[in-house]
Amino acid sequence: MTGATKLTRRGLLRGFGAAPVIASCAGPSSGEAAAEAVSPADPLIDAVAIGPGLAPLDLRLNGAARTVEAAPQATLLALLRDQLAITGTKEVCDRGACGACNVLIDGEVRSACMTLAHDVAGREVTTVEGLATSGAPSPLQRAFVELDALQCGYCTSGMLISCSALLSRARGPLSRAQIQGAIAGNLCRCGCYEQVIAATLSAAGERSAL
Amino acid sequence: MSQEEDSLTKNVRLRLGFADQLREVTVTTPKDEPRPWDADSALTVVGQPTPRVEGSLKASGAAVYTHDVRLPGMLYAAILRSPHACATLEHLDVAAALAQPGVVAAVPLAKVGDRLRFAGHDVAALAARSRDEARAALSAIAVRYRPEPFVVDTLEAMQPGAPQVHAAAVSERRTEGDEPGEASGGAARGNVRLGPSQSKGDHKKGLRQAKVTHSATYTTQVHTHSALETHSLVVRWEDPRRMTVWCSTQGIFSVRDEMAEIFGLKPADVRVITEHLGGGFGAKFGASAPGSRLGYAAGELARRAGAPVSLCLDRREEQLCTGNRPDSIQQVTLGAGADGALTAIHVVAHGSGGIATGAGVGRSAFGVYSRCPNIKVESHDVFTNAGPSTAFRAPGHPQGAFAIELAIDELAQKMGRDPLALRLAHVEHAVRRYQLELGRERFQWAARRAEAEARRARGARIRHGVGVACSIWGDYGRAKAAVVTVSVGRDGAIFVRNGAQDLGTGIRTVLGQVVAEVLGRPLAEVTVLIGDSELGPSVGSGGSQTTSSVAPAARNAAEMVRAQLAELAARLLDRPISELSWGTDGSARAGRRSLPFRELCQKIEGEAVVASATRPKTYGAHPMRYPGGDNYQIAGVQFAAVELDTWTGELRAAEILAIHECGRTHNPLTARSQVQGGVLLGVSYALMEARVIDRRFGQVLNPNLESYKIAGARDLPAIDVVFCEVHTGANSTGAVGIGEPATIPTAASIACAALHAIGRPVRSLPITPDRVLAALAGQDGA
Ligand code: FES
Ligand code: FES
Repeated sequence: MTGATKLTRRGLLRGFGAAPVIASCAGPSSGEAAAEAVSPADPLIDAVAIGPGLAPLDLRLNGAARTVEAAPQATLLALLRDQLAITGTKEVCDRGACGACNVLIDGEVRSACMTLAHDVAGREVTTVEGLATSGAPSPLQRAFVELDALQCGYCTSGMLISCSALLSRARGPLSRAQIQGAIAGNLCRCGCYEQVIAATLSAAGERSAL
Repeated sequence: MSQEEDSLTKNVRLRLGFADQLREVTVTTPKDEPRPWDADSALTVVGQPTPRVEGSLKASGAAVYTHDVRLPGMLYAAILRSPHACATLEHLDVAAALAQPGVVAAVPLAKVGDRLRFAGHDVAALAARSRDEARAALSAIAVRYRPEPFVVDTLEAMQPGAPQVHAAAVSERRTEGDEPGEASGGAARGNVRLGPSQSKGDHKKGLRQAKVTHSATYTTQVHTHSALETHSLVVRWEDPRRMTVWCSTQGIFSVRDEMAEIFGLKPADVRVITEHLGGGFGAKFGASAPGSRLGYAAGELARRAGAPVSLCLDRREEQLCTGNRPDSIQQVTLGAGADGALTAIHVVAHGSGGIATGAGVGRSAFGVYSRCPNIKVESHDVFTNAGPSTAFRAPGHPQGAFAIELAIDELAQKMGRDPLALRLAHVEHAVRRYQLELGRERFQWAARRAEAEARRARGARIRHGVGVACSIWGDYGRAKAAVVTVSVGRDGAIFVRNGAQDLGTGIRTVLGQVVAEVLGRPLAEVTVLIGDSELGPSVGSGGSQTTSSVAPAARNAAEMVRAQLAELAARLLDRPISELSWGTDGSARAGRRSLPFRELCQKIEGEAVVASATRPKTYGAHPMRYPGGDNYQIAGVQFAAVELDTWTGELRAAEILAIHECGRTHNPLTARSQVQGGVLLGVSYALMEARVIDRRFGQVLNPNLESYKIAGARDLPAIDVVFCEVHTGANSTGAVGIGEPATIPTAASIACAALHAIGRPVRSLPITPDRVLAALAGQDGA
């Protein structure tokens, strides 16, 4: 773990007096899929300057330890897609409005476009590529395919991340409303929400049947 | 459609129709055409709900979209766009940008003296080693604009003396996403240009005969496609005469042809690859976007840089310059006789596709209530200084359906008639009538109407409303446009090849199903290769024509392969070919002897049995033709139930019953998804979406996904999809389209349900709380 400052893009925006952007499209978000950036630490404490050039950081990415270099202003999304060519995570709005770039950071759903790469130093990042276990798709991934929870597939990785997090968090049987809450920040232009809900319910059912 | 047989044709008797209305019909097909699948064909793979074959690629993140293409040495492009609603370019110099960090090439996209007609117009492009460097360098381009008067409001643009958007006549830009036959070359006056028009009988006379009339103005908003993957392409020059293009496109061959034309290449020397694309909805034809010369920019930058260039628009650019559904202002006049029969329908429509044409209002008013003898629909394009429109899922139809269907309901209200009964009295298409009757029962129309009216009468806070609307679309399956190749190797491996792209509709899967069906093999043994121009000519995925153009070609090719295999089997079994039959497990049988598929394949001489085929022109249109065409008319209806909070004005779509048909449903699982998607798009259009332009500055205020609202999971109504299979005899598999019809009647049915809930019409989309509250407060039309 580097002792780098916990810079966040939202923190920067706030610093500039810009209004935060909102992810939900109907009613308040449950917060489960909201585009909250990570800011666990007070930036004034524990501050080490990085940049302006590339600076190294260590993270765990889909279960493997990685050391990468990133510019201080680079988002996690740019790091994944452009630098590491791990492209399952999609860029759609690049400002926290659509959920297509959702990843898990220490198990929490985050928008990779609203997270600075250096903010994941020392943390565990899981992308859609990391949802399978030794090459075998997760029950949720299988249910997505079986129940046709994808058409063009561009929202799919974000949906899977939101729903995986819900499945690992939720105790007891899932309700439709819980799933709708979990994906309230995930936009799908092809209109797959119903099938996403059905697939998540089915994966949850399979789990409880074990 | 039967005729005299000749040396090239034959007559075939088929069982055609739907539900319990099946009958023997003779159609004339080419001599070598297989017997078309009809109501008597018992199929085992086609028609089964089948998960899409590329599903696990998409669910694992491994599917490669254009945005995901990463090539060695690849550069990233960015485009400088005019910030002015209208301006003349006075000065442009890209040289300074070349000195910026990482920048490798820069090209102007406009010339000094050009009029840049909307905010977002191309000015110049550059390519750099990273996206950040490319974007940062744009500010180094030296540019000076002279702002000019502009107009962005449709009504204002229609006034005499409004700033003239185009100085010269405008030619229509049409794509495979547009409905065939709608072209117009109308004369222009000011910013107004006559668009497509349809007419029958004498509407003036019809209105004179009327005992009851209704006349009102209906308006709809500009609607953006908002596909999740933005317009994008990657260009790599292989040598000075050949290039490879990865493109997020609905029409691989439209990209090939455009790039070949721009760069003076032979089409065969342009290879286009679209393995997957993140939605299109009509906006992605050709290498360029409707409002941005992406093909030239990426190709020229790659040429100058001597390196591959990736050009992916950002969200703002996508919302500004890649197309939209035009707005509309529709004056609808209806007349009915004392018996309630419609005597006239007259629609005068104006709409703005920004700087482009394409503001027609579809065929709903002309084609659905065709028992009305006098109909005239006149449409006009109004030019404004806004991003160009382009085909958007059923171009013209949702806005046209909204106006005519709501007007019909208002007329019914005036006459004290049930709106569903009024529709049934005027609908000619037997399938549509059947669908309306089916929906009446399934949706419990009468009971729910009564319940909603009782709530309204007692002044309940939460009100309900129920409405219904129809769709009309044509079977636009194209003849000889798609060439599908099927091969069976000595190892038994089955390949299907065609250069179609999968928009998310599941065409890959359908092609596999059709070939598996013909060869009697499991789908898992069939590999479908699509998404590459080298795999053979194909159609663009627009106008609901892909399945009906490609699936019959696949069947025809598979039948040819099967015939060759049968011949081989006959020889091996030493029986005449006439005795040979094909088992459902793919084995060849003659008398008591049979030869399993794999064994037979091992005997193939050479490496494989291969055949390529296409499909002929539509040979059947049973039971109803499209107005003015020889092709089948696709019918659909949707019923909507809405819930209204009279305190807040919030209107929610609670339930939609969507009854549709796509001829023979090849894959009910993916077809159902497509219909649900069409419905949700319609809900979003009806209640939420609107592009907003500031009139004083000519700027789009919501070119993003947070203030341009599209429906999310919590806006989802309960959607009940019912397929009513129709055997039309149109082609060898019986496929007709579904993509467009599914979204046509949704907003209209919601608007009718809103009228029912409120008691007064909201004549403008989207139906937002302020408009609902105004209607509740007694303002007609809101
Ligand atoms: S929320 Fe990150 S790309 Fe949209
Ligand atoms: S499947 Fe296309 S955006 Fe969701």
